[in-house]
Amino acid sequence: MTMLILQRRSFTVLLAASLAATLAATLAANFSMPAFAADPAVNTDIGTLDQETAEKAFPAKPPYSPYAGRNFPTRPLFGDTHLHTSFSMDAGAFGARLGPKDAYRFAKGEEVIASSGQHAKLSRPLDFLVVSDHSDGMGFFPQLMSADPVLMATSQGRKWYDQINSGKGAQAAIDIITSFGRGDLPKGFPTPGTPAYRSAWRETIKAAEEANEPGRFTAFIGYEWTSNAGGNNLHRNVIWRDNGAKASLIEPFTTLPPLGSPNPRDLWKWMAMCEEKTGAEILALAHNGNLSNGRMFPIVESFTGKRIDREYAENRTRWEPLYEATQIKGDGETHPFLSPNDEFANFERWDKGNLDLTELKKPEMLEFEYARSALRNGLKMEAELGVNPYKFGLVGSTDSHTGLTAVEEDNFFGKTSSSEPSAERATHPFVKTEKALIMGWEQTASGYAAVWATENTREAIFDAMKRRETYATTGPRMIVRFFGGWDFEASDANNRMPARIGYTKGVPMGGDLSNAPKGKSPSFLVAALKDPIGANLDRIQVIKGWLGKDGQTQERIFDVAVSGDRKIDADGRSKTPVGNTVDVANATWTNTIGAGEMITVWKDPDFDPALRAFYYVRVIEIPTPRWTAYDAKYFGVTMPKEAPMTTTERAYTSPIWYTP
Amino acid sequence: MRFTLLREPLFQFLVLGAGLFGLFHLVDSRKAETPARIVVSSARIANLADGFARTWQRPPGSEELQGLVDDYIRDEVFYREGRAAGLDRDDVIIRRRVRQKMEFSAEDASIPEPSETQLAAYLEANPERFKTEDHFSFHQVFLSATRRAATIDGDSKRVANALAGADAAVDATAIGDPFLLGEEFHAVSQNEVASVFGDGFAKRISMIEPGRWQGPIPSSFGQHFVYISERIPGSLPPLDAVRQAVRGEWSNARRLEAEQKLYASLRERYEIVVEMPPAKSAQIDKSRQIDKSAQIETSR
Repeated sequence: MTMLILQRRSFTVLLAASLAATLAATLAANFSMPAFAADPAVNTDIGTLDQETAEKAFPAKPPYSPYAGRNFPTRPLFGDTHLHTSFSMDAGAFGARLGPKDAYRFAKGEEVIASSGQHAKLSRPLDFLVVSDHSDGMGFFPQLMSADPVLMATSQGRKWYDQINSGKGAQAAIDIITSFGRGDLPKGFPTPGTPAYRSAWRETIKAAEEANEPGRFTAFIGYEWTSNAGGNNLHRNVIWRDNGAKASLIEPFTTLPPLGSPNPRDLWKWMAMCEEKTGAEILALAHNGNLSNGRMFPIVESFTGKRIDREYAENRTRWEPLYEATQIKGDGETHPFLSPNDEFANFERWDKGNLDLTELKKPEMLEFEYARSALRNGLKMEAELGVNPYKFGLVGSTDSHTGLTAVEEDNFFGKTSSSEPSAERATHPFVKTEKALIMGWEQTASGYAAVWATENTREAIFDAMKRRETYATTGPRMIVRFFGGWDFEASDANNRMPARIGYTKGVPMGGDLSNAPKGKSPSFLVAALKDPIGANLDRIQVIKGWLGKDGQTQERIFDVAVSGDRKIDADGRSKTPVGNTVDVANATWTNTIGAGEMITVWKDPDFDPALRAFYYVRVIEIPTPRWTAYDAKYFGVTMPKEAPMTTTERAYTSPIWYTP
Repeated sequence: MRFTLLREPLFQFLVLGAGLFGLFHLVDSRKAETPARIVVSSARIANLADGFARTWQRPPGSEELQGLVDDYIRDEVFYREGRAAGLDRDDVIIRRRVRQKMEFSAEDASIPEPSETQLAAYLEANPERFKTEDHFSFHQVFLSATRRAATIDGDSKRVANALAGADAAVDATAIGDPFLLGEEFHAVSQNEVASVFGDGFAKRISMIEPGRWQGPIPSSFGQHFVYISERIPGSLPPLDAVRQAVRGEWSNARRLEAEQKLYASLRERYEIVVEMPPAKSAQIDKSRQIDKSAQIETSR
């Protein structure tokens, strides 16, 4: 998508200055229409065409717009990097009927019939989607249900088959997932090289190839490497930059030995081998550290008990440029235990235990589970190893297992097909073991990935992901800009083209600052625009983390723009809440509070050029009804007292790092 | 079906009893007749042996093979009796799986490679699916609801007057507010306009005349005055440009058609009676529409 090139219409130089009262008369004479007409059928780089045409028309002058050929991203693309369909064994067992083809159609804005029989449609199409079914057991469910003789010859396969056939599908699903966590699976379970596996992978690729429409909608090829050792979530999604010709040269890496491994180091080896052998380009992104029980962002590796080394750090940072910081199984930005001074930290927490609730959470695990603390520890590891293993950008995604990437609060189709809209879904247990219980209402209607790509193609989106020019949202499509540099001034916030000044004077989100000019502190151009059909914004915050002289990491939150006439105090905080217009009973709110847009330039008041630091932006919306409120209203049910009925949606940008 | 009678324990007991009685009778009477045959063909045996070999990487020994055959017979006996007793009938998983298999078989049978003529005909018959969208080049004067709060209506009138006689070359930057995504939009599709400004705005844009200032057009951000310098109407691309998409849509249409045809031909064989309980549907049909078919229980 390059059509949204922001380009000055006139080559006459008369635009620059004043207007005053004579605006009608003065300018008419010199104006000429641009000589070019873009071909609507071709999604070429119109910026470049314009420039060429312009140079031809005015050979003596450079093009009016110095950025016409520069091609910076002008609009964020919204998508989901993490969606399961009936091809995932657990999704199938929970009753998902929609396959990858249906999933792509739904993401493009088409209406589909959900597995529960209800009509489903997005409020507006997404720009891209990765169908990421589990690599282990890909195609397992169809194989199981066709009573494959190999599987049936095993006691487990037989047991699950019987359970499912006697109407105990949910029980079978849970048993399948926990057996998987124990690494205890029947012989005949689909592994790479077997016909059942190959056909599932081929179908996945085919669905993406058919749905991919460069310029309009990007369908990535991908899968999820579902490392779940001991029930602790170390999952990664793997995404191809390339088309099916390259992806079909290889079969996904699994987690079960001997072919696969649950250790991410082995995934990275496989990724290197894949790139070398097939010529493809791939990346991985992890998610749900909150369910890893202290293993997602280790300082001491759980597999060896040793401190992570340079090799680990180099590989992790090379292969995992992004982290999925928010999704249906909870938000992963930070935790109140880690960020006691952050009043927005207690948001959609899933902190009872690991993924299958076989082990309870201990507070000391949290530091190695959340994005913010990992970014902090990354600075520490960089000082020690010379490489920052946790230099990742942020996205959100759904991890829905329904084939439906539907996480708007008023259009939430749940995590599994059994939690699609119904009067009972909120009060039905989601995971239940003897140790703990997670209820249906605890599901989080979140999130999406926003990517500042130059056009809507696999290549452009992938490249933007690699350079971490991304942000996470918990569902709404607010637009967030974040640039860091040394020369931003307050007046830049009133510039007519924030993007141009941002790219000119600084680096975008995901970028790096170093070589601090003497006596200067980094300054940041920060802006947000509300979702055109969503709620107003409460505030924009910059979250700074740094490594102190004492070798300990610190964090601090700055409110940099707040709505209304609230003040930001000398400590950089605005303690006055924005208010609340939510009518829970009717599941409505009004935009009578908050701001539609915010832009500011912020300078770090406390900068020490000798210390490593990162800065990222958090945008907070005004309170709106949570999906539980929409459910209560629609189904006429009463929610449990402990279920929150309002939410504050938000966006998290990738950080900008400062390295001395 | 929600009849109160169904909830009566005594009634349930009687039905259960009658059912069991019928089941025993069925099994019993069959014993007296000639036994039904179960044939384990040599092809089946080969199939069983093959399955074993794929797991264990060696052919089964004779005892193992006997075990497989015995198990198959056991399977078959229980399967037949279970089906005869109707145990498969109310099982959602079995029903869904069987339906899926039927749908797959319709799909498999219906996807030949389309010919050039078929694709061209499909493109011609469904132009709206492949037509490129209308694109617009425009610039705007933006009045921010956030920045202007109380004064926006007055400001809007003032700007409307100022722009009434103006042409394209007005310096929008001097009268409006900055907009995060800028003032100039070059060859953007209606969908892209909607994704930035909202649906209502995009609809207005698609209707207004190029070549003069128009507005105010409201969005959730404030008021916009818009000058469309160019409107590029959508057109139907030649087949070569959209072959892949046409092929995908054609196959999908073929699949749905085959499935529909199969369903219709099968459904024809049934007389269908739906006994909708009146109270329940009234309760569900509130502000939103849920697919009714999900609520329907067919009676057999």
